[in-house]
Amino acid sequence: MRMLAHIPLLLGLACGSALVTPAAALDLDDLRKSLEKATKKIEEGKARYNEATGKFSEEDEIEIGGNLVAGLLGAAPLVDEPALQQYVNDVGFWVASQSKRKNLPWRFGVIDSDGVNAFAAPGGYIVITLGLYNLLENEAQLAAVLAHEIAHVVRKHHLKALQKTMKREFWSGLGVKAVDNEKDREKLRKLVNSGVQLYASGLDRKYEYEADLRGVVLAARAGYDPYALLDVLTTIDSIDPGADEVAVLMKTHPPTGERLDTLDRKMDGRLDAYASGRLNTGRFRKVSGGRQ
Amino acid sequence: MKCLIPILFALILAAWPVMAGDEGIVVRTSPLFASANYSSKRIGQVEAGTAVSIERRVGGWKRIVLAMPALDGWVRSYQVRDAATAPALRTEESGSDSRGFLDGLASFSRKASSFFRSGSQRTSSSSATIGVRGLSEDEIKSARADFDEFGKLRLFASDAARAAKFARQGGLRAIRVPHVAGPK
Repeated sequence: MRMLAHIPLLLGLACGSALVTPAAALDLDDLRKSLEKATKKIEEGKARYNEATGKFSEEDEIEIGGNLVAGLLGAAPLVDEPALQQYVNDVGFWVASQSKRKNLPWRFGVIDSDGVNAFAAPGGYIVITLGLYNLLENEAQLAAVLAHEIAHVVRKHHLKALQKTMKREFWSGLGVKAVDNEKDREKLRKLVNSGVQLYASGLDRKYEYEADLRGVVLAARAGYDPYALLDVLTTIDSIDPGADEVAVLMKTHPPTGERLDTLDRKMDGRLDAYASGRLNTGRFRKVSGGRQ
Repeated sequence: MKCLIPILFALILAAWPVMAGDEGIVVRTSPLFASANYSSKRIGQVEAGTAVSIERRVGGWKRIVLAMPALDGWVRSYQVRDAATAPALRTEESGSDSRGFLDGLASFSRKASSFFRSGSQRTSSSSATIGVRGLSEDEIKSARADFDEFGKLRLFASDAARAAKFARQGGLRAIRVPHVAGPK
């Protein structure tokens, strides 16, 4: 880019030298055309640069995430259990506070579905299904699941996936509150539907492995036993992969056994010093209201 | 009869290590190591579903004792679960297959879902073609944004002060842990 910006200057210098060199006098029209051509190339270069490196602002990200999670909530609403929702927000916010994006407006929720799954949306929105919540045994496991999703948000995995498939212009000017005409309304509907498709098709598998590894570190930072995520994965691994409850999870994530083996191998004992972290089984059971 | 008492006593003592630890179950068929590291000797294999006694945990390893065959050694910690904290384990009668162990969990999950379910009937069960209440693949694909529900999501948000208090009450302390870098 920097070189492209210097082109007019270089051309200007060339022009100047031409004027003082009668033997190499240039036709002024040719010079103008050259300048126009150079300017056009600079503009094209700028556009390519913006396209390649243009990033959503945090405000954009929160706006997009809000639309996506609203789409998920359209499929499965929040469980009407304030104590449970508050608890999940407490655990989630504490874990997210250990990330480098602790200032996002983090929101967590348990949604009313038997499916075993959890979802993250850009900007700090995370939901876990009641089906998955009910498989958990302690607070550390809840923190582990949320930490995996938090890692997706921190690393902007969904945003990257969306950027690949959609142009930025498509998103611009659309907000949760900014839908004030029919055209925008239609745009918003398409946006939500397209974005929510990601939850059915899944992210690149490398992002899932990355979220597993970063998730265990976040859990350890928050004072929990980092091995709790491996416990959750063994639970999921033991479910018949053909069961309806895990159909979407299995489709959108690498095989659970491979996740376990990969995570354990990559951890390589380097988090063993934190394995004495808290499980907080008692508090978890208290909130869960005697269901165990 | 008198001579049987010492024998019985000796048998009880012999079985003591098995009974001393916490009750656990092997959830993944795993190699058994002589020490808590991968480079130690592999002394056997424990099958998924095997009931064991968990003697202790060191980092990512658990030391387990099997009654039959009499064997003890180390496995990765996540390959053996504590029966006391895994409620569904109690629903299975010494299953030999870990899939069975989770069948129990699945039915448990459904029961618990009913426990939590409120009067809300807004889940689209009518279109749950694969029998899962909410969030089947079709339901995700055809989802329409619900901004009323989105508004509720904000009601329970935490903040830094609240999170710090929550952590203190739970004995949690923030620790500096570097990210585990580089693929291995």
